[in-house]
This record gives sequence, C-alpha cells and structure tokens, in this order.
Amino acid sequence: MTNHTLRITAENQPTVMEKLLQVTRYRGFIVTGMTMFPESDSSLLTIELSVQSDNSIEHLQYQLNKLIDITAIKLDSDAASLCRT
Amino acid sequence: MTSKQFKSGAALLFKVLQQHDVKDVFGYPGGAIMPIYDALYDSDVKHFLCRHEQGAAFSAIGYARASGKVGVCLATSGPGATNLITGLADAMSDSIPVVAITGQVATKSMGSDAFQEVDIIGLSLACTKHSFQVRDVNDLAGILTQAFAIALEGRQGPVLVDIPKDIQLAQVEQALSLVNQKNKTDAQEPANVGSALALLNQAKKPMLYVGGGVGMAGAVTQLREFINITGMPSVATLKGLGAVNSDDDCYLGMLGMHGRKAANLAVQECDLLIAVGARFDDRVTGKLAEFAPHAKVIHFDIDQAEIGKRRGVDVAVMGDLKVNLPALAIPLAITEWQEHCQQLGKEFANDYTYLGKGIYAPAVLNEISNTLKANNQAEHTVITTDVGQHQMWTAQHMDFTDPSNFLTSGGQGAMGFGLPAAIGAQISRPQDTVIAVCGDGSFMMNVQELGTIKRYQLPVKIVLVDNSKLGMVRQWQQLFFDERYSETDLSDNPDFVALAQAFNIKAKIITEKEQVSEAIEEMLSHQGPYLLQMKIDAFDNVWPLVPPDTANDKMIESIK
Repeated sequence: MTNHTLRITAENQPTVMEKLLQVTRYRGFIVTGMTMFPESDSSLLTIELSVQSDNSIEHLQYQLNKLIDITAIKLDSDAASLCRT
Repeated sequence: MTSKQFKSGAALLFKVLQQHDVKDVFGYPGGAIMPIYDALYDSDVKHFLCRHEQGAAFSAIGYARASGKVGVCLATSGPGATNLITGLADAMSDSIPVVAITGQVATKSMGSDAFQEVDIIGLSLACTKHSFQVRDVNDLAGILTQAFAIALEGRQGPVLVDIPKDIQLAQVEQALSLVNQKNKTDAQEPANVGSALALLNQAKKPMLYVGGGVGMAGAVTQLREFINITGMPSVATLKGLGAVNSDDDCYLGMLGMHGRKAANLAVQECDLLIAVGARFDDRVTGKLAEFAPHAKVIHFDIDQAEIGKRRGVDVAVMGDLKVNLPALAIPLAITEWQEHCQQLGKEFANDYTYLGKGIYAPAVLNEISNTLKANNQAEHTVITTDVGQHQMWTAQHMDFTDPSNFLTSGGQGAMGFGLPAAIGAQISRPQDTVIAVCGDGSFMMNVQELGTIKRYQLPVKIVLVDNSKLGMVRQWQQLFFDERYSETDLSDNPDFVALAQAFNIKAKIITEKEQVSEAIEEMLSHQGPYLLQMKIDAFDNVWPLVPPDTANDKMIESIK
C-alpha cells in the first residue's frame, strides 16, 4: 500500500465532498486523512486528501478530475502524509 | 429573457427544454412533480407516459441512442426517482446523454423524512456525471443549460436535476441568463499522432478494436475512411457493432466472451492493437494478462481516465476521433496479414446447421437481418435487445449499418432494456422500423410498457425468443455449476400471445422452423405493433464462450 496526498481545489457546492469521497472509495483508495476549508470568498474549497492504495494514483487523479466541481488537483509527492500510521 | 415571460419555475422548465430543442420527454407523474405536469398541460413539449419510471429512463436512452439527441425523462420524488436509477446507471456505463428531472418535496420539508422524500442527489451521485438540486428558481434555467452541456460534452452521460416542489411553484423574479455554463472538458494530453504513426509503420499485424465511442463521437465516416485507406483488419465490441461496414472482408465481427472465433484468434495474434473508443472491458479481454499478448497498444479516446485503466498503452491519442482518425490514416503494406484475417473469417464463418428439430434462434435472427438487407430496409431499422442469450445471438448473427441502429445494454447488462428502448427509438425515428429482440425473462421485466405501445399505437415489432428459461444463467449453471438449475425455470410464463392481444397488439406464436420465413414476412409487413413469439429449445447455448478468467483463444464451442 502506498500513501499519497492530493491537494484539491473545488467549487464550494453541497455535493462536492460526498462525490469526492465516493469516487475515492469506489476506485479502491482508503482515506487516511483529510482537511478542508473554504477560501476567503467561500466560493472555492481547498481540500488536502491523504489516501492509501495499491492502485495507480494517476488514475484516481484522472477520475477525480472528471468531477464537474473539482477545478484543480495536484499530487503532493513531497508533502508529509496526513496519515499517522 | 425576463420574469414577465414566465410565471413559475415549472413553466420555465419547459421553455428551457424547448430552447434545447427537446421535443419529446418520457415520464410518470406524482405528488412532488405535479406543478411540472400542470405546466406540461400548456406546453408544446410532447410527453410520453410510460408505465414505470424505469421504462421512462430506458425510453429516454433509446431515444438518445437512435437519434443522437439528449434523452429526457421525468419522475416524481421518492420511489419515482429511485425507479430511474437503473436507467441512469445504464446511461453512465454506456455513455448516453440523458437529462433526468425529478420532483422533490418542498425545501422546508427536505431532511424531515417527509412523505415520498428520498435523497436522490445522494443516490444518483454514483451513476451520473453530475447531479444538481435547484434551491432558487432563479438558478433553474442556468442549471438546466449546464445539465444539457454536461450530458453532451466530452464522454457523454446522464445528468440529474432535482427540483423541489416549492421551486416548481415559485415565481421567477430576476432577469435570467441561460449562459451560465460550467463546462468541463476532460483534461487531455496532446494527441501523440507522431508516435502513433511510428508504431503503425512498424506493425506487421495491426488490428483495429472498435468500441462504442466511435458512434458516440459521430465518427463512423472517419472510421470507415481510415479502414479504406489503411486496409486494416478490424473487430468490434458489443457497442461498437455497426461502426465498421459488415461487408468489409477484413472485418471479423465481435470479439470477447461471445465473440467470433476468428475475431478472438486474430486479436491474440496481432502485433499492434488500436483501440478506438473502447475501454478493454472484462467481457472483451477475457483474462487480461493474456489478452493480445504480443501487441503494442495505441488507444484513441476522449476520456483520459480510460487510458491505461486496465491495459497499459504505448501511445494514447486523446481527443476527437473525427480529427485524430484521419491524422493516422496512411496506406499500410500488410497484405499477408489481411489475407490471414480473411482466411480466419472464412474458416470460422457462422454456421447455421442445426441438429435440433425446432427453431434455431441464430438462424432466424440472421434471416431477419438478411431480409432487411434484401428489402433495402437495414439502414432504416433499429434493433434493440434485452440481455441474455438472445442478445448475444443478435450481436453475432445480425448486421447493422450504424451503431445507432443497434441498441443494447452493454456495460450494465440491464434486463428489461429492449422494449422501452425500442419505444424511445420508435418515437425518435417514427418513419423507421424498430424491432425489439427480447428474451422471455427480460421481456417480463418491463412488460408494462406494452401499455405505452398501445397508448401511442407505436408500430414496434417484438421478436420474443422464448426458451422458458433465464437462458444465459441456465447455460452457466450447465457449464460451471454442475447443472444445478437454481431458479432459472420459467415454464410457468404467461400466454404471451394473449398478453399482447390484451394490449391490442397483433401476436403470433411459432414453434416449427418451417413457419419462420412466413412469420418474418408477416411481422415486417404489418403496419402496427406486432409480437412474434418463437419457441426454441431450452438447452440451446450461445457459442463460442470464453470461460471466466480465461484467455480469449481458449473458447468453448460445445458441451463436451
């Protein structure tokens, strides 16, 4: 199992977190940590999502990138994972 | 557009639908969508009352697939909305542009477990490209416009718009702008045409693997031109059938679990596999590690997420097939390989020799196909199927002139698809012939839609392939579950002829092969709806079959 951290910018819509977590689970990733906060004007969310899987993180990025309310995804390969395990 | 033009959200809905050239919708009324049905009463949009919301969803899909337009379905809250879910899942798997509009309880009641309240947004997220809930009537037009754009852009698919009852009733207050789009095109790498050309030039045994994306992209002409220029042999997926001209000598038909032997053998031999709008589905590849084991892969697609999802690729060519296919169309020196593929095609051509006494479904389906061709009717005929043995026989033994002429539930394999999809296809193409090839198990799953055929006097033809079994499951029980026939006997089916006649549909049953030709002629020449029930042997099987987790060249072709 490999740990990864994604930095995600998303529109602040009611369903965006639900859909993000749904796709993450469905594509075979375990969420090991997450922080989320609105940007200053509240129209955008910044989400830091730490996940664990044997699956390709690039493919999770491709799937998440298709979500209408997600505007940017960056794989933070240098960041310390939020996972404490 | 200003508030002066519209009184309510419900009235605005139909105005926006008309602005998106929606002429026909499929649905079923109920409490939380009553304001919309009230506005429908004054609208020019034509509504087709289905007899179950699943029928409405499948009819919208059939309409979309046969016409290339967006299919629209309506349902009320709660059970009405949940009944759409199977259709949305089908549209998601098969990339069909559908906009589903659901009524919802009033916003002040939401979250209180109100009567007929269900969290359809939560339920639909997993089987739509996107789901919207309208919380302000002034957002309605913009949201609907976005819904149509999302359904059609990139890889097509379903979108749900949930409208609470008070929003349907609310007065539109503000000047409205329909241009509030949040389009999102798929992130794509630049097309690697140069790298793809290099692989193409090196290949001695290239094979084109044609998927449903070709039809969805409107690129059938470009694909056929590509084949004409390159001379490349080709195979197709279930959803790709109709894209390649079936008279092409180097076209080997469907590949995969029930593919033609020639198609599967040639793919296993090829040294370059060019996937075009296809996704290496498990029913196509068999044992993935042994699929096309000698081949490098070029993958044309619109969806970046499909690249390398199941099979690694050497070159991905992302973007519009109408642009990218012509860019790779170069003449190839592959005569030896072409001749080999033609030889495979001849050696393993379909054989209609039947040792049984009764009706042989593959031969009947092939005869219908040949009759349509002989009558110059094939281009103007849509075939739909349910799911199971009859579906695979249709795919194997009928030819289609375009993907929009063969509608079947591919990714989901949703039984009960055929009849409502045929209704949608018939409404979108009223001058054309529409034939639903159904199994006796699947037919009963949406049999209530005979009421829709009766109501609108739709001239849909139904070929009911009746083995009094859940045939495909029964076949697998025979092959892989020690002949333990658990819950697959349907010998207590109703009298289908009487059932059809109860809906004023002319019907006939045939049991002998000598009756087949006359029955086909009678069905095709009948002006109105017609049900032709043909009894077949309960133990006829679909061959060949690639067993689960087995390489595609290890097909079973008979019971040992």
